[in-house]
Amino acid sequence: MEAEGYVSLREFTEADAEALLEWASDPRVVRFQRRDAYTHVDEARRYIIDHVLPFCRTRGTAPSAASLGYLVARAHWGRGVATRAVSAAAEAVFAEWPWLVRLEAIADVENPASQRVLEKAGFTREGVLRRYVVLKGRPSRDVVMFSFVRGDGEVKPAEVATHS
Amino acid sequence: MDRSQELQAAAARGVEVSLRRFDLADVDAMMVWASDPQVAAVCRWEPYESTEPLVAFIREVVLPHPWFRAICVVGGEEERPVGAVSVTPTADACRAELGYVLARAHWGKGVATAAVKRVVATVFAELEGLERVEALVDVRNAASQRVLEKAGFRREAVLRKYCVLKGQVKDMVMYSFISTDPLVE
Repeated sequence: MEAEGYVSLREFTEADAEALLEWASDPRVVRFQRRDAYTHVDEARRYIIDHVLPFCRTRGTAPSAASLGYLVARAHWGRGVATRAVSAAAEAVFAEWPWLVRLEAIADVENPASQRVLEKAGFTREGVLRRYVVLKGRPSRDVVMFSFVRGDGEVKPAEVATHS
Repeated sequence: MDRSQELQAAAARGVEVSLRRFDLADVDAMMVWASDPQVAAVCRWEPYESTEPLVAFIREVVLPHPWFRAICVVGGEEERPVGAVSVTPTADACRAELGYVLARAHWGKGVATAAVKRVVATVFAELEGLERVEALVDVRNAASQRVLEKAGFRREAVLRKYCVLKGQVKDMVMYSFISTDPLVE
């Protein structure tokens, strides 16, 4: 039986399209995402096949910096799921990519909940970057830049397991 | 005014620069800074040792680039570039990255500052959708930070261990100039 708050990370498969659609179609979840909300499971399936699966298999380059992003279905907000997932992901990538030195993440200036996720996961707030991203073709947004660099100390422990 | 009075008036105004597109014929002028190890030390590339790869760089990168300009000093050998400035689009249409390089003989005279001021006065009208010009400078490169500050850029953050350059991990300062920021005269 899983403990309260248990979070595990695994790779996506095509079978996850329906689950992905559940949050990718929710305007509250995708509010600060560049892409428009999905409306049909085929869009979710295409996204997994065309973008997610090839992405996971790209091991050719060894960049010193990488960008972290996350989405959580609305029903699971407010319970620390994102914080645990971010902690787990940061720990995993620094272990799997010895060349990685910097993990960064941005949060909209009007998204304090997401900023708190990153702070609780041990990221450092670096500053506000003005007019940094364009959201869904609307006027550009100011964002807060956060980073976690190798040597920042232990990532906050989480009840977590990662497996591919 | 005669010529010497013109030059004195220009000196009183500070250095004036003009920006123009590059041409393959500029390779010899470009070689002056591209082959200089002191210039290359603060840039992402290694000094060029011959003109053939530099010609290839002009043809393959500079000529097709959306915004890459030669810096010429008004009152000097006017058509001969003394440096280069570029504004390179990123994955987000609203922001592009500024880069500049100057031959060492022209350092410390306000040429880079004048060039960057001209960039922010013109590039927003020329690149569709652009709202933000950003620049990343090594935390230890005080001279380059002053260029941006004098041109009206705002210092936003230190991005820790942002990149690895020539084997060294670097903290970089992020500066930006957005389309509504006031131009510095």
